[in-house]
Amino acid sequence: MAIIERPAPTASILLRAPVTPSQSMGIVRRPVTSTGWKSWVFTVDHKKIGIMYGVFAMFFFIVGGVEALLIRLQLATPDGKILSADLYNQMFTMHATTMIFLFAMPMAAAFANYFLPLQLGARDVAFPRLNALGLWLLVAGGLILNASWFLGGAADGGWFMYSPNSGPVFSPSNGVDFWTLGVQIAGFGSLIGSINLIVTILNMRAPGMTLMKMPVFCWMILVVQFLLVFSLPVITVALVLLTFQRSFGATFFDVAQGADPLLWQHLFWIFGHPEVYVLILPAFGIISEVLPTFSRKPLFGYPFVVFSGASIGLVGFGVWSHHMFATGLGPISVAAFSIATMAIAIPTGVKIFNWTLTMWGGKIWYSTAMKFAIGLIVLFTIGGLSGVTHAVAPSDTQQTDTYYIVAHFHYVLFGGMVFGLFSGFYYWWPKVFGKMLNEKLGGWNFWLMVIGMNMTFGPMHILGLQGQPRRMYVWTEARAGEGLFNFGFWNRVSSLGSLILAIGVLLFLINVVHTTRKGKPAPLDPWDARTLEWITTSPPKEHNFDRIPVVHHLDDFFHRKYQEDATTGTMVQIATGEQLVRDEEANADAHIHLPSPSYWPIAIAIGVGTLGMGVVYGVPIMIVGVLIILGSSFGFVLEPSVADDIDYDPPMSGGQETKELAPLG
Amino acid sequence: MFTTGSKYCFGIAGLGSLGAVVYMVLVNPSDVGVLALLGIAIAMSLVGGVAQFTGDFDVDSPNDAVTANVVAPANSMWPLVLAVGGVFLLVGMTTDPIIFILGIVIIIAAGVEWALQSWAERASSDSAFNRFVRERALTSLELPVFVGGGVAIIAVAFSRIMLAVSPQNGAILFIVFATAVLIVGFLVSLKSNMKKSTIAATCVLGAVVLLVSGGIAGFNGNREQLVSAAAEDHYSHKDCEASESKYFDKNSENAVSMKSGVTATIRVKDGKLTAQLIGIDTQVQAVTVRRSNSTTILFRNLDDAQYRLVANLGTKKIADTGVEEEIVDCTQMTGKNQTQALILKISKPSASSGPYTLTVPGLEGQEIAVVVP
Amino acid sequence: MSHDSTLTDSQQNLSTFKKVKQVMRLRRFGLGLAASSAMFLVGCARNAPQDTWQPKGDNAQKINKLDWMVFPLAGIVGVLVFGLIAYILFRFRDKGQALPTQSHGNPAVEIALTIVPALILSVVGVFTFKGIFELAQTNDTQMVINVTGQQWWWEYDYPAQVVNGVEITQPIITSGQLVIPTGTNVLLRETSRDVIHSYWIPALNGKKDAVPGRINLLRIQADKPGIFAGQCTEFCGLSHANMRMEAVALGPEDFAAWIANQQRNAEAPAQATLAQEGEAVFLNQCIRCHQVNGLKKADGTAAIAAPDENVYSGAAPNLTHLMSRNTFAGATFDLLTSSCRKNVWTASPEEFGSAYLKGVTTDCLNQTDLRRWLRNAPEMKPMYADPIKLARSDGKYRGMPNLGLSESDIDKLVAYLSTLK
Repeated sequence: MAIIERPAPTASILLRAPVTPSQSMGIVRRPVTSTGWKSWVFTVDHKKIGIMYGVFAMFFFIVGGVEALLIRLQLATPDGKILSADLYNQMFTMHATTMIFLFAMPMAAAFANYFLPLQLGARDVAFPRLNALGLWLLVAGGLILNASWFLGGAADGGWFMYSPNSGPVFSPSNGVDFWTLGVQIAGFGSLIGSINLIVTILNMRAPGMTLMKMPVFCWMILVVQFLLVFSLPVITVALVLLTFQRSFGATFFDVAQGADPLLWQHLFWIFGHPEVYVLILPAFGIISEVLPTFSRKPLFGYPFVVFSGASIGLVGFGVWSHHMFATGLGPISVAAFSIATMAIAIPTGVKIFNWTLTMWGGKIWYSTAMKFAIGLIVLFTIGGLSGVTHAVAPSDTQQTDTYYIVAHFHYVLFGGMVFGLFSGFYYWWPKVFGKMLNEKLGGWNFWLMVIGMNMTFGPMHILGLQGQPRRMYVWTEARAGEGLFNFGFWNRVSSLGSLILAIGVLLFLINVVHTTRKGKPAPLDPWDARTLEWITTSPPKEHNFDRIPVVHHLDDFFHRKYQEDATTGTMVQIATGEQLVRDEEANADAHIHLPSPSYWPIAIAIGVGTLGMGVVYGVPIMIVGVLIILGSSFGFVLEPSVADDIDYDPPMSGGQETKELAPLG
Repeated sequence: MFTTGSKYCFGIAGLGSLGAVVYMVLVNPSDVGVLALLGIAIAMSLVGGVAQFTGDFDVDSPNDAVTANVVAPANSMWPLVLAVGGVFLLVGMTTDPIIFILGIVIIIAAGVEWALQSWAERASSDSAFNRFVRERALTSLELPVFVGGGVAIIAVAFSRIMLAVSPQNGAILFIVFATAVLIVGFLVSLKSNMKKSTIAATCVLGAVVLLVSGGIAGFNGNREQLVSAAAEDHYSHKDCEASESKYFDKNSENAVSMKSGVTATIRVKDGKLTAQLIGIDTQVQAVTVRRSNSTTILFRNLDDAQYRLVANLGTKKIADTGVEEEIVDCTQMTGKNQTQALILKISKPSASSGPYTLTVPGLEGQEIAVVVP
Repeated sequence: MSHDSTLTDSQQNLSTFKKVKQVMRLRRFGLGLAASSAMFLVGCARNAPQDTWQPKGDNAQKINKLDWMVFPLAGIVGVLVFGLIAYILFRFRDKGQALPTQSHGNPAVEIALTIVPALILSVVGVFTFKGIFELAQTNDTQMVINVTGQQWWWEYDYPAQVVNGVEITQPIITSGQLVIPTGTNVLLRETSRDVIHSYWIPALNGKKDAVPGRINLLRIQADKPGIFAGQCTEFCGLSHANMRMEAVALGPEDFAAWIANQQRNAEAPAQATLAQEGEAVFLNQCIRCHQVNGLKKADGTAAIAAPDENVYSGAAPNLTHLMSRNTFAGATFDLLTSSCRKNVWTASPEEFGSAYLKGVTTDCLNQTDLRRWLRNAPEMKPMYADPIKLARSDGKYRGMPNLGLSESDIDKLVAYLSTLK
């Protein structure tokens, strides 16, 4: 940070004329470059942060996917020898943890970070430096979590990490410690992000955009952030208790000292259940944008979709013990949670119907994004229906902890969430990167993923009902049942399906590489879309909108392009997307102020990471971490949001670091 | 952007950290070598930071420094404080290690302040600018350190006094001290044109009194009562007799919240002991407890008199003397309609080390058999 | 992009292309439908030992009735929804029509589509509610068995009681196979010595977790004699997959005979036989953890096992009547050769009792697996038995270690163990 500014010449009582320093005496100049790696690492721009979240998430999607493939490979044959029991237990723990905390949540954060301000007509989020801090905390958490592979073995207690199995006696390696710290630190990042986004949505909408004129994607993100704000503290507490139990000799979950192991389960699931809604609602939001665009008509029943999203969030806090039906809660608790779980199916059903009826009477264009969106509707319905069968608690006592549950949540998470995210990729790629993903490759991508997904997870319904439990590192022919369609058959089909699924995902990556190299530049409004983010260039300029839009309708962009013809009653086009963007450029705002990049978010994240490692490796490292956090926090707080002049090279010097915005046009 | 000299320092710091990591991985994370390398890394990064900050080792700035060296240095208390720190250091070597550590801290703090003050004075020839620069550099450090340190010193000194005097005297002292603070603060607020030095002098006087008495109290140690209680360790000693025990039954919590975690409930009603197992409706006289399993038993007293439940869990030989000692565990004294819980973990079966029983001292002839298969 | 009502050539190709897409889209509904119906039909078809849709006791039957209500309902809803979607995708595809009416919704339809599912779910809810409370009844218990889970096997102890006229005078301890009388309401009082496990015999009831520090109740009842497989279904560590059990239901006379056998102590093997040498090996090695009731040391005193000193969770399977069960090591491996096993497992209910009570005879003994186990147990079933790594569990094992027995010792032991009927 620039500590010393050039002083204005003052009347001095000195003998000679005052001699001012010839250069800045600050430690280092504030990073203001707009190109190069520094412009990414120190950025506070929501778009760059969104892209980094996306890259991080995609990387861990691959990592988690490889972990899953190893699991399926191990289970493809009886007496599998690919993974030992210990390694298998680590593999399924890390697969789930990686997919949930390092892929799904960051990918949703990527979309939210990139598109929330754009859809709201804002220039950035409410707290840009906090935004960067959230990203780097996630990176720190992810690194710590995966460092465990190289430092004595990963966590092996399952992603739900039930105690007493997670205690120091039954999980002696440091794996669980790394897991606890990694999830904890990533959780801090998410919590910080959630407060940021709530404030952004409530305070920074464009003029004229009331909450009921806000896109559904923003609504779903708002609900998700509230879910995070109320559920993350619970897991934070649980993880602190576990950290103290494992590293500092506490006895919170020690049965011999009178503890109840079910305490962990309650704390975990009070977080864990809202967490699954955190995972799916962003995908719901994405397809609520995609479906109307490609059906060429508005979302059916906007208020119902919004309110059902909010009620899913609310009721989602009241169903956590449906994960605990077999733990001996007693019939009254079980009945209450069973009924509540059935209740939550109702708003979800409302959404499914609304999406379906959006397409009714439409003019459906089957782009890849639309295919994925329709895929979500179908596959999520399957997952949701199997979920209703779990809500019946007595049936659940036969189904829980078997592959039937694995099938359910993979249908809703992969068929639901991942398909929604892929729909978002294909839909918004032109806006973010200025190029369209290849539709032909996209088609192959989609079909292979559909076939692979159904082949992998469909048989798991049968396996579960046939009685194969979860978390089994091996299955044997002797216990696999008789006949052709026994455990063996369905396990083999499932493993084959996973390979097809992997190829499907690979095709997406190939599509990305192909597009980056040889993709044609995309038109400004390729899909004839409906929401505000399309009134920008592709990719958007750093300040997003040349002129903050004034909003009069839901789907304001669509209403600027089309008007209802008074006589015929049909929609007539009055402007194209390109025309509207040029129009905005011509009437750009004069003074646009953006916050400057900063070192402190990544510095604080490094401090937090060091503190975490110190919990495992000793108090001196913890102290170093605390000092770094303390110092960086002071820096963060004292730094002005806009860099001083002295941090910029003069425009004449030819440097690109200038405070004056490049002239438009 | 980085001056040459600071690059050198940061380079050493980087190598030191790398070396520490390699050392950690190859040898042992808690080896002294790691600490040494980390220490070098930290020290050199600090030096480098200061060097960078002050523009030291930088070719241009000596010119400024020479030009600015026209004004005589101002008064400074830091040399004095440094000397005091040195005294603490030497005294602490012969008395209490805490004083030694205090001395080190004072030396470091005074050293930093002194160095930065003299640097600031030479930064330019504009003394206002120099003051501004010094404040800008140091305020964010000084404020938390001084405030935090001040609060810590006051708290520690005060606590030593409270631990040394008897509870009644302590209460009186507290009231006196608080009243004094209140009066002084009231007077200061009334006389708003009071000179700064008067206020400073009063505060310093109060602080000195507190520190000195705190030091004396700290040397004298805790009062007798606390010392003997720690030594005798009354509160962890179970007293399983029929009568109420002064220490063990003090503050007994007579409510139990773990209703579902028990294997059996033992009831005293009309002078009779019965047991009821979870899942079985009838009352029985024997409880089966699994071997090596932490089992919770609930004890409920429905009679007027006070009773406790005692578990007689066989005998064991004390290693040195060979004497057989009875293994006994019990609840605290339980009043009417009150409940206590007892957690048992029995490692050996009844057949080999039993019989195990649950009895209530004061109720003759009543017992519940504990069967460990 | 606007569409003309007249199609140019390229647009015609485009729409043909889209028609192909249509077919492909419909195909995926086929997939979706197939998936859901397959889930149904094929689920019924085979002979998996832990099948959840083949109830053999009244608790499991109650659950199955609920299943038969909910699953078809879910299937019908699914088929209806997919049918609607397929229709929409075909009917409203882009055929070059004008921009459609920008309808914003239809509150009446919305409300109807909210109420109808709510009604269906309320019906399901009422039956569920009833089912939950019915299945939680335990006041008609006729027999009590304490079930204790431990890494990675199940222990059962039968407290002293009278069951159907048969008296159990002193506690019986067995492991692996839970023997119950037919037509009797058996209450299992479950707990654990270390981490959370879960007891699940699908043919007889849903699962119930065995939580350390708590007693959880599970009621099972079998209609006819037979053997029913089960598995631990709460992740409990390294060998969670190898923690199995079976429930064995015997008719009244067979059960009485079984009880009588279990209450006998083991007899000393005949003098100067391999079995007697095996007894000596047992007293040397195995007695540290495993108890055999009636076994006497060389000086004539009773030999008491001390697993609390060697095993972290404090207990090891009681081997007094090992050969009366036909699985071992957490019911993961068979004591019977595969042909003998088939005789027992596929016996009809009338013949099952006598087949089971025969136990494991010498010609039916699965020498291979038993020997491999004695040679190197941790290699067969992953367990924490490496003495070097046991610092965190006070130097005690979790599972059985490799005892380093010689082949001749193993021969002797197998001979001795074969006498433990």
